[in-house]
Amino acid sequence: MISVQHVKKSFGKVQAVKDISFMAHDGQITGILGPNGAGKTTTLRMIYTVLRPDAGSVTVDGFDAVRQSQEVRQRIGALTDSHGIYPRLTARENIRYFGRLHGLEGRALEERIEALTALLDMQDFIDRRAEGFSSGQRVKVCIARALAHNPQNVLLDEPTNGLDVMSTRSMREFIRRLREEGKCVLFSSHIMQEVTALCDQIVIIANGLVTASGTPDEIRQVTGKENLEDAFVAAIGSEEGLIK
Amino acid sequence: MKRVWIIFSKEVVDNLRDRRTLTSSFLSSLFTPGLLLALIVVMGRILNVDPQEKPLLLPVAGAEYAPGLIQFLKQNNVNVLPAPADPVNSVREGDSEVVLIISPDYPEAFRRGEPAPVQLVLDSSRSTASASIQRMQILLTQYNRLLAALRLQARGVDSTLLSVVSIGVRDVATPQSQALIFLNMMPFLITLNIFAGGVYVIIDSTAGERERGSLEPLLINPPRRWEFVLGKLLASLPFAYVSLAVVLVLFWAGFQIIPVEEYIGFPMVLDGRALAWIYLLAIPEVLLASALQMLVATFTRSFKEAQTYLGFLPLIIGLPSMFLSFTTIKSEGVKMLVPTYGQSILINQILRGENYNPQHFLLVSVSTLLLAILLTLIAIRLYYREQVLFNK
Repeated sequence: MISVQHVKKSFGKVQAVKDISFMAHDGQITGILGPNGAGKTTTLRMIYTVLRPDAGSVTVDGFDAVRQSQEVRQRIGALTDSHGIYPRLTARENIRYFGRLHGLEGRALEERIEALTALLDMQDFIDRRAEGFSSGQRVKVCIARALAHNPQNVLLDEPTNGLDVMSTRSMREFIRRLREEGKCVLFSSHIMQEVTALCDQIVIIANGLVTASGTPDEIRQVTGKENLEDAFVAAIGSEEGLIK
Repeated sequence: MKRVWIIFSKEVVDNLRDRRTLTSSFLSSLFTPGLLLALIVVMGRILNVDPQEKPLLLPVAGAEYAPGLIQFLKQNNVNVLPAPADPVNSVREGDSEVVLIISPDYPEAFRRGEPAPVQLVLDSSRSTASASIQRMQILLTQYNRLLAALRLQARGVDSTLLSVVSIGVRDVATPQSQALIFLNMMPFLITLNIFAGGVYVIIDSTAGERERGSLEPLLINPPRRWEFVLGKLLASLPFAYVSLAVVLVLFWAGFQIIPVEEYIGFPMVLDGRALAWIYLLAIPEVLLASALQMLVATFTRSFKEAQTYLGFLPLIIGLPSMFLSFTTIKSEGVKMLVPTYGQSILINQILRGENYNPQHFLLVSVSTLLLAILLTLIAIRLYYREQVLFNK
């Protein structure tokens, strides 16, 4: 479970996050929707402990992201904005490295890698060096290494960015499967259709503020729009992020 | 510590597969010994070949006026050649090193026992000609004294009256210290190699990691930042130490294979013991180099930028030891405490076969180690900042 309470974050004079609060529960998919530059990535970075909020608090399973950052890092798996992997290591070695950093080793680790390989359909390239991987293959390696330690909380920053139709479909399926396992899934996107297709809870962010949140029904009610698309436009204040 | 080991071993494996790392660590180590030996061969040819062995080529104008002098010169290994049309210009252009002009008045003055006029045309600013010029001047002086002595004897005067002082010369330079100019370059070359051995590993694991976009995912893992910094720093050491060992062995082998003595005229001693001490001396210096590189790389935005800055580092650090190539500096006091500079002086002393102060050895090693630790701590602090993730 992830709890974000009134966090603020500035970079110099730029207020990236002004006041954001929401909860993401276990066994649910929570979507953060907002146009580019709304503060989605900054918010996720504060959750996965690489940024410290200027104000407010972030807790993961009750652990404070600033004071107990190591406990938080053990309980989350995150797909970051950048999908950098080590080109001279094989996909398996990339995943194994992160698994070992989480304290896994030996058979437990190798079995986990095998399971993730099957789950993400990586058999074809698991023992190939990552140099020259397609973006779909890279994202799969990134997800597998983030989940090597089977974390309870999964953060995905724009997971379908740069993926083709097939990869996007299998990514969505994968996210649903995480929910079935009872994980707390938090993912960000600037694409409305994606968020509505997947999410139990939606948090709409614009200009560093939460403009609406809740289930799709609740958002329709709050914004007073019958059509969900209109509701989003009303909440974001622009048509950015809509696929026509 | 186990996590440090995991990070360390990943970086080592990763970099062993990188051709750039291997090239920079090991090809560059071929370069410096090669450079020094090439310098010895080339410089030795130009400067140090013993000029007495070669006949001196001497264009002479008016050779027919002074057959006795010409005969004396020929006996002293001088090849007398016809003079060029314009001796002054020929010397100025460097076509001739020195030209002897014998005046038509020579025979008449000689017969009367008066100073007979001869002229040497030379360019004192041309260093390559200095040996020939000096030789000519000595030969003329010798001829002068020889004939003067004969004339005095003919008049019944003791020719030793001409010698007011008897000059004896004792050259105290040992063979090795004459080869100093080459030896003095070695501390600088070794410093360069100390900085080259592990630098690619540092760049790849810091600026490279950031540029690839793998730094952020990496830092989300449980290890603390100091564990990351330490693991990456340590990963550069095997590369640096092996590369340095290769350089020293190559230096040693080069001096065994190439007949250095033929080129510089003196034997140059570079034995295994000396190399072992130099290696020992370099151990904390390598640590310092890696820590400094880590610190600088933290500020750089990209692989290329890191490469540029870190390329300058050894030149700046090595500057003091480069001065050692041109001057002799005594090992004393506080100077010996200065990391890398103190080592350069000691390396110099070891190579010259001098006795060095073991206290200096110990002190500079400790001060270098302390500085390396301090720089590592600063680098770790920098890694705790948020900015470390971003390209600013």
